[in-house]
Amino acid sequence: MALHEVLLQQLFNGLLIGSFYGLVAIGYSMVYGIIKLLNFAHGDIYMIGAFSGLIFLTIAAPVIGAGWPSLILGLLISMTLVGLLGVVIQRVAYRPMLKAPRLSILITALAVSMILYNTVMIISAGRYRVFPAEVGTESFFIGTLRLTETRIILIVAAFSLMFILHMFITRTMYGKAMRAIALDRDTCQLMGIDVYKIIAITFFVGSALAAAAGIMAGVYYGTIHFFMGFLIGLKAFTAAVIGGIGIIPGAMLGGLLLGLLEAFGTQIPFIGTVWKDVFSFAFLILFLIFKPNGLLGRSESERM
Amino acid sequence: MFKSKKYLILLLVTAMMIFGAVGCGDDTATEDGEGDILIGIMVPTTGSEAADGIDMENAAKLAVEEINAAGGVLGGRMLVTTTGDDGCDPSMATAAASQLVSEEVVALVGGYCSGATLPTLAIYGDAGIPFVVAASNATSLIDENPGWAFMINSTGLDQAASAVEKFISLGVETIGVIDSGDAYSADLKEQTIIQWEAAGYEIVADDTVQRGEVDFSAFVTTIMANTPDAIYWTGYQAEGALLIRQLREGGYEGVIMVGDGSSAQELIDLAGDAAEGVLCTGPPLTDFLPAAQSFIENYEASFPREPGAYAALMYDATKLLADAIERAGSDDSAAIKEALDATDGFEGLAGPIMFTEQNTLARSNFVILEARDGRWALVE
Repeated sequence: MALHEVLLQQLFNGLLIGSFYGLVAIGYSMVYGIIKLLNFAHGDIYMIGAFSGLIFLTIAAPVIGAGWPSLILGLLISMTLVGLLGVVIQRVAYRPMLKAPRLSILITALAVSMILYNTVMIISAGRYRVFPAEVGTESFFIGTLRLTETRIILIVAAFSLMFILHMFITRTMYGKAMRAIALDRDTCQLMGIDVYKIIAITFFVGSALAAAAGIMAGVYYGTIHFFMGFLIGLKAFTAAVIGGIGIIPGAMLGGLLLGLLEAFGTQIPFIGTVWKDVFSFAFLILFLIFKPNGLLGRSESERM
Repeated sequence: MFKSKKYLILLLVTAMMIFGAVGCGDDTATEDGEGDILIGIMVPTTGSEAADGIDMENAAKLAVEEINAAGGVLGGRMLVTTTGDDGCDPSMATAAASQLVSEEVVALVGGYCSGATLPTLAIYGDAGIPFVVAASNATSLIDENPGWAFMINSTGLDQAASAVEKFISLGVETIGVIDSGDAYSADLKEQTIIQWEAAGYEIVADDTVQRGEVDFSAFVTTIMANTPDAIYWTGYQAEGALLIRQLREGGYEGVIMVGDGSSAQELIDLAGDAAEGVLCTGPPLTDFLPAAQSFIENYEASFPREPGAYAALMYDATKLLADAIERAGSDDSAAIKEALDATDGFEGLAGPIMFTEQNTLARSNFVILEARDGRWALVE
């Protein structure tokens, strides 16, 4: 393979990883935008999504198989259930803390994260689990680019979800209310917007997208683990900051950019795979220093 | 405020001295040669390597049960075990080691992940407690051993030699190596590179991933650009299974070999069809030891699972320790160490045990395994 062919392959690898990061980053960014909370439990929601997909497939496989139709059904059911879980967590853990100092709610989020992954650790006996999807792993070529059916479907699905979300945010009243609350919660309340309901919807949508990413990661990598949400949580946070935290198109863009940075970063001599995470977090630091509002962020005074 | 704090400290110091004195009293009590003998087990019982760790813990318990049922050691004294969880993590391991030392174990068995075992050797050495290391086998352990650890699994040097020999016999000319950055896998990779280049061949890809990595697409792309004849993964099964899947999915058709850290059945279960034909420089797997058949039956009767890759070695380690206590004629740690030193051809399930001057097994016990129909099979 010539260098440009390697880079083309890495471009595709980066887009796929980046779309997972993007889907998780959206939830981070939405929640931050609306209640200024860095939801550290969000990575664990992604993990719960993967496990709920596994449970669905295990139950459904004998009846309707474990191919794409059953995966799509599983995806929808898991997104709904995990979305509701997000709403419950929001109601039980975060809503009573909304008027408390910001640090308290941050610590609550850490506690929620620990409760979630430790529960799954106990249930799954701490072991890696095989994700039982039966999808094509046969590869084919477009030019020199090696692709599989699975990869193409996953990337299309990820982009479709992002597009649907974008429409939801920009074209519906709920989306408009979310954007309004992000600007000024108190005024929204005075204008008669049911703020708590909108916050609940935000958690539902964010959690559902993370669950979708979790299931997609299960299909793509083939194994899942109770701690799989930790690193992706940090990466999604990085992606959200790169794109401008609180700005939803920014989270998508940040996720894709981070995926590409990682994929190409490993091609730089002496960096290699082991430095991948160092590379992405170094970018986080650079962004925090030189462009703290992210790619799409406006200056702080305007946003407030 | 200050005054009361001072009193509090004084009170604490006094309390410590009293409890310290009580501790000393306990010491003299055990030296009388009465009562049960406490043996420590150090294995990962949680985390990514828990499967192997629990198998090993079970094997040690089974050995102890058998010894006690046959009348114990030193004329009727029973063996009792206590387990420390090293979590396959260096910092957890040092905490577990300190805990085991404070429980006053007379000797230890265990040691799965070399990276976790490494920092504990000095702790046990300082405390003067002999440690029969059942599985850990990085060559770095040899340098760090203060003399109190005895390794009954062959070391990374022997394993690298087995791998190189197998590659040459397959006609492989270029290899790619990849490890997961911990003491064990980095050491095995390093030894393999040295021996492979000394044999006059070429390394065309050399990479390291982090423990817990799930995405190998960048490495796979590099591999496809250089297409080595074979790839040697020296890390553990959780990452190894994903690497194998992604290599095969990425179109790699050469030989894939894994080290003994990936020799658990779990590797094949997680990698699925992609594992078919993967080779492994493995430990003497329990299944293939003729002497171990009754052990397997007893194990499966006692625990609801199959003995894993290292159960037989752990069973040997425990039996060897009991034998050493018997030969020492006392439960004194220093005497047990001397008896272990003097071990001469103790018959374990995995073959006779005797030690080199560096306390390593005086023979190579590696075998080549191949994944066939979802199980490891011995390659003759």
